Amino acid sequence: MTRFALHSIVALVMLFLMLPLLAVAVASVSSGATLAFPPTGFTLAWYERISADFYAALRVSLIVALGATAISTVVGTLAALALQRGGMPGRRILAIFCLSPLMVPTLVIGVAAFQFVLVVWDIFGLSVTDTTLALILGHSAFCVPFVIRSALAVQAHYDMTLEEAALNLGASRVETFFRVTLPLLMPGIVSGAIFAFLASFDDVPVALFLGGSGTVTLPVKIFTSIEFSFDASVMAMATLVVVVSLLLMLLIDRLIGIEAFIGTGRN
Amino acid sequence: MSSASATTSETNQPAPAAWLARLQDWSWFLLPALLLLLIVFFLPIVLLFSFSLRPHLGPGTVGEGVTLANYLRFLTDPFYLGVLVDTLIIGFVVVSICLVLAYPVAYVLARSKSRFRGLMIFIVVAPLLISTVVRNLGWFPILGNAGLVNWLLMSAGLITEPLRLINNTAGVIIALVHTFLPFMILALVTVIQKIGVELEEAARNLGAGPIETFFRVILPLSRPGMLAGYLVVFTSVISAFTTPAMMGGKRVLIMATLIEQQMRSVLNYAFGAAAAIILLAVAAILTIVALRQEGRG
Repeated sequence: MTRFALHSIVALVMLFLMLPLLAVAVASVSSGATLAFPPTGFTLAWYERISADFYAALRVSLIVALGATAISTVVGTLAALALQRGGMPGRRILAIFCLSPLMVPTLVIGVAAFQFVLVVWDIFGLSVTDTTLALILGHSAFCVPFVIRSALAVQAHYDMTLEEAALNLGASRVETFFRVTLPLLMPGIVSGAIFAFLASFDDVPVALFLGGSGTVTLPVKIFTSIEFSFDASVMAMATLVVVVSLLLMLLIDRLIGIEAFIGTGRN
Repeated sequence: MSSASATTSETNQPAPAAWLARLQDWSWFLLPALLLLLIVFFLPIVLLFSFSLRPHLGPGTVGEGVTLANYLRFLTDPFYLGVLVDTLIIGFVVVSICLVLAYPVAYVLARSKSRFRGLMIFIVVAPLLISTVVRNLGWFPILGNAGLVNWLLMSAGLITEPLRLINNTAGVIIALVHTFLPFMILALVTVIQKIGVELEEAARNLGAGPIETFFRVILPLSRPGMLAGYLVVFTSVISAFTTPAMMGGKRVLIMATLIEQQMRSVLNYAFGAAAAIILLAVAAILTIVALRQEGRG
């Protein structure tokens, strides 16, 4: 009896978790009014009506997310190696400093970046708003710590003797790094890179404060489109995002396993 | 030792130049991250703090000098204090609902070897990979005036007028619960997994029913980890901007939406900065308390 009750509650929570995703998909193929239930008919017309603005925004989002991920993966992995093995003084403080952006609300990061950009303009006459580079740098504020955290997490269970073995067997330091160290750290680096990509692709506040008319990201585009009346073509675009995200999830499961993925990246 | 196998240890290598030896120290690899974070994070935050201490001269302008006026204005005006309190109340309600919904799921995920386990993990993790704006969008056909919930309730004859579930606090709370529930579930799975199954079995063998076992064994043992998870999710909820802004339709004023309004519409940069620093301080203190708690759990 208790068991049945428990399983029913779990099933209802699962339904709750899936509900908005299903709703987006259903709304994207229903022919009636967007927000009316039940749907009156099936149509794929909304997919044809996705405006060019949305594809442009998707393009900006992908470029920004890939750029931020690339920078933070390289910089973050190096930092994690240094924090684990470096002989510098104050390692603990440096680690806290590197991870501290994760404590700060992204809205605050966005607001701070916005004022920073204004001051840079005042002092140097340099305008960096409305550029893809500004968004990439703005996102790297929270993407770099994601990679550092994941790469540090795998190093916690790292067996240093494997490197010694490689060196003793005649491998050079560089060879050891690329053929032993890096492959062993790879699961953490990949998790961190995926977290960084997702965080960048998800962000509204930083992109809202740093972006201009030429650098509207997809989340910002969707975010602002609901302030006015919106039609089901937004739902069609959103459905495409859901489908691609689920495919990405299957890929992650293949590469490193979903449970390993959430294990290395969690707070 | 022959030179062919002389690479076996450092002492056999030719002495490298001094600068090379210094480069080999891993410490230098921290430099790019430090420089980058200094420019994109640390300097902007310091600047934000300095803006919060300057007088407001008019839309989009801050004056010279140092003043606490912005903080005093926030902390003495019942309206702004009310926004802070509302933020904390919404955080409390959202995380409490999350905790109640997450616990049974986490328990099943931690304990069961069911063939549905993989599917359940998939359903829990999938929302984390999907853009927040997209997930929020999904609530519109469900909670809108002509949406699924109102259609069900009206068809059942329970209500005659549609309930307002969107563009208000109710919509914000529902969507925030959905956004943060997966984090709560994953935090609790780790906590419950640490409690040995044998303790549960012992309680059962000593005659406790499943409900008694839960309340007298599992729940007390999971309390420290649960509290840490609660604080972490609470911090994320009060920091959230996207969901409250989207689901509240500009009508729900919490810290995040207040800051955005000050910065983008009112253009009182100094006051907006002060509000941002207050939110940052609350979030930082809660995170530190949560980390301490986690160390204990």
